[in-house]
Amino acid sequence: MKKKNIPLSILKYFFLIVLSFLSIFPFFWMIVSATNNAREVNVGKLTFGPHLAENLGNLFHSDLSFGISLGNSAMIAAVTTVLALLLSSVAGYGFEIFHSKARDRVFNILLLSMMMPFCALMIPLYRMFSMAGRAGLRGIGLNTMFSVIAPYICTAFLIFFFRQNTKSFPKDILEAARMDGLNEPGVFIHMYMPVMRPTYAAGAIITFMTSWNNYLWPLVALQEPQKRTVPLILSAMGSSYTPNYGMIMAGIVIATLPTGFLFFVMQKQFVAGIIGSVK
Amino acid sequence: MSFQTGKGINMHFGGLANYRRLFHDQTVGKALGNTFIYLIIQVPIMLVLALIISVLLNDKSLKGRTFFRVAIFMPCITSLVSYSLIMKSIFSNDGLFNQMLVHLGLSPIMWTTDAFWAKVLIILSITWRWTGYNMIFYLSGMQNIEPSIYEAAEIDGANFMQKLNYMTIPLLKPIILFTTITSTIGTLQLFDEVQNITQGGPANGTITISQYIYNLCFKYTPNFGYASAVAFIVVVLIMLLSMVQMKLGGKENQ
Amino acid sequence: MKCNRVVATVLSAVMLISMAACGGNGGTASSAANASSGGEKTQATASSAASDTAKKLTIWAWDDTFNVKAANEAKAAYAKINPDVTVSVVSMAQNDIVAKLNTAFESGNMDGMPNIVLIEDYRIQNYLKSYPGVLSDLSDVTKADKFMDYKLKTMTEDGKIYGVPFDSGVACVFYRTDLLQKAGYKPADMENLTWDKFIEIGKAVKAKTGKAMLSVDPSDLGLIRMMMQSAGKWYVDADGKADIAGNPALKEALTIYKKMQTAGITITASGWDAGVAAVNEGKVATAVNGCWYASSIKKATDQSGKWAVASFPKMSNVSGAVNATNCGGASWYVIDKVPGRDTAKDFLSKTFASDTELLDNLCKDISLVSTYKDASSGKNVSLPDAFFSNQAIYKDWIGWTKNIPAVNYGTSTYDIENKMTEVVQSILKGASLDDTLKNAQTEVEGIVSAAG
Repeated sequence: MKKKNIPLSILKYFFLIVLSFLSIFPFFWMIVSATNNAREVNVGKLTFGPHLAENLGNLFHSDLSFGISLGNSAMIAAVTTVLALLLSSVAGYGFEIFHSKARDRVFNILLLSMMMPFCALMIPLYRMFSMAGRAGLRGIGLNTMFSVIAPYICTAFLIFFFRQNTKSFPKDILEAARMDGLNEPGVFIHMYMPVMRPTYAAGAIITFMTSWNNYLWPLVALQEPQKRTVPLILSAMGSSYTPNYGMIMAGIVIATLPTGFLFFVMQKQFVAGIIGSVK
Repeated sequence: MSFQTGKGINMHFGGLANYRRLFHDQTVGKALGNTFIYLIIQVPIMLVLALIISVLLNDKSLKGRTFFRVAIFMPCITSLVSYSLIMKSIFSNDGLFNQMLVHLGLSPIMWTTDAFWAKVLIILSITWRWTGYNMIFYLSGMQNIEPSIYEAAEIDGANFMQKLNYMTIPLLKPIILFTTITSTIGTLQLFDEVQNITQGGPANGTITISQYIYNLCFKYTPNFGYASAVAFIVVVLIMLLSMVQMKLGGKENQ
Repeated sequence: MKCNRVVATVLSAVMLISMAACGGNGGTASSAANASSGGEKTQATASSAASDTAKKLTIWAWDDTFNVKAANEAKAAYAKINPDVTVSVVSMAQNDIVAKLNTAFESGNMDGMPNIVLIEDYRIQNYLKSYPGVLSDLSDVTKADKFMDYKLKTMTEDGKIYGVPFDSGVACVFYRTDLLQKAGYKPADMENLTWDKFIEIGKAVKAKTGKAMLSVDPSDLGLIRMMMQSAGKWYVDADGKADIAGNPALKEALTIYKKMQTAGITITASGWDAGVAAVNEGKVATAVNGCWYASSIKKATDQSGKWAVASFPKMSNVSGAVNATNCGGASWYVIDKVPGRDTAKDFLSKTFASDTELLDNLCKDISLVSTYKDASSGKNVSLPDAFFSNQAIYKDWIGWTKNIPAVNYGTSTYDIENKMTEVVQSILKGASLDDTLKNAQTEVEGIVSAAG
């Protein structure tokens, strides 16, 4: 591309600028609207207003207990992330390091389960937790943190992700460590985990984000008002008879802060987490 | 479970009754139809757009590459519920977008009351959220392509389109296949957006299969037996579609 | 993603078969669950021998301007009778309440459920039939001769009354006197209205003022439901069987609905909010709805004195149709397994089931049209309402309530309605009425038989 075609290059920049504008505009709209009242949002006011404090006040004092839901979401996302990373990395490690006849077959079943639509899994899952609750196992029935977290602590995607990344792991040092008398958990904790730190970071980001933003399963599993997560509260606010968009936008801004923060601070791992599975 | 009939806790074995009902159920047809419309219109638009952007952004001489990449990727940090509500507020019948149309002397578009425009709105929204996401895959794929291949082609006098057609796209084929399959699966499972933007309306004009299953289970009286029958159809469809796509992708590879 | 395609195909086939075969497993599992819920039930009966009281009651209701406000006034009234009990009223969207009830009843886990819950009349049959034993028998709280018959019928199962009837959903035409006057019509023209006349007036309003007569929501067929009930019909017949293709009232209602749209006297508003906005912003000359809609109309204080109320238009081509019908309306229920059942029953029996003073105050505060017969003699009932051109609207509403034909709402009103929204759209687009309804009959039979 040594000789430049001027009109073409203008067109190129114009196209990219328009797309960037379209991509960013809704963020601008969300932030502006968080400072306006419901009526102003409805008529499309595009300038900052003085209603931010009022919107936040409404948000935290509404019957829908937004504050509690922030805590619920954070807790669920954190626990899911920790458990999912532990289990999946062990599984991914195992799949790549150990050889057995059944390995590839089991792994193919795993890959297939990635294609299972959640709406098909939802009914058996729901019935399962519902029966557990009915059978008196209240702690693991519906409406419990366990029921929201359990389906997500061992996902095919994450196992796949770890296995792919383990492929580039220097296997010789494992042998060396075993020679030195380290047992298998020891090898995993002292050799594998430190080396794979970037993979853990990327996996953590993607798992946290998926969990933080998850909607359908919590919607089904969590019915008690005090246990709901942020997306559920936002959705409930949006579908009320007269949605107060000023307040909702303030809520969306808060809900987007953690993922936005992760994105800007850890962009590299963020992107690595997303493209992790196609290497 | 898909052979059981009855509602609530009054469930019993009903043979093929659910599948008979499925056969006559026009809402299933409607939901499938809508899902396919999203599939065959939205997925290609999004992927082609993502590919074009990636090709442009892969040009090292481009100024502001990082800015463009970050900006276009930004929508991915929003949750599906959040962005759906943002879209709902921008495109409400008296909302920002229609106000702008009126200012420009055009007549407002009934985004949520007209089945056609409601579908357009859903397609626009999904494209907004996921184009940057797919772009990232293509960009990372292109970075793995040796620049020397392009240089050789340039020496041979290949122009931009030729390089795209004969080099970039074939080299990216596995990634394109991957994004096609994941987008297809994603579209077949579409729920959050439709639930929060149009709630499936007007008159089921935007309803998807996932949403219909959800409605059958939780919106009215829980009817898990019939919902399972509908879910079963989706599983079959996804399997079939994925196989077809792998076949097509695989064949051209050889 | 390199997948062994042969293996993948075989595996997916295995998976499909095992999923379909899940029928057997599901059956045993679900009967086990039934058995265990039966076990819980015996426990509950055993403990119900002792009185089940509590110091704290929770009530769930929707609509802050109406039901929630009523519950709060009842709470205040009860505080004077029984100050030891704290009552908390939780406001939630109706859809949320329904989803929560479904989950709780389905799973048998009543943690976090309220003692008292408001349930819409269209939905109650479904709960009584699908989850027997979940709601308390309130036959000793609700005196059958004290409440209006059409309302009681919705909550009676096997001769037992399960709820305390609350508001009447008596429907009427709210209309703008100023706009109708411009079109050349007087309030006297609105008496004993028929739909033909309604459309005629609508055309005049459109021609003279440019305003639409009515706003319609493609996803909400309240209008069709009201028309059917005004002729004593519903989507299902008295036995709960699908009644679509051979239902003259439904056919006529759809014909009228289409006629209004082709006459161009309607505008479309999607969702509750948009419908209220159309009224408040003066885009429409009338609203045809349940009496509870008055509180939404009154939000536009600048329109005070410009509104009046007329009885529901009659369908002249259907035999048995009257100038009265119902739209919505709800009642109070007690969830049996939530601790404090007897306190909850005491609360209802001393408030909504007997307190005429409370009901009369609610008439003033939230425009409640009670279905408690003695409430009709309250002093607020005969008062004129300034917003509605000093009409004694409550008196009119109560008078019309007495004429509402009782129908069996069946178990699946909203399932069916969801289906019917599609039917209406295809009829509006020009599909043949009879053919479309014939297809719909099969589909609705599928929905209804699933409930049996």
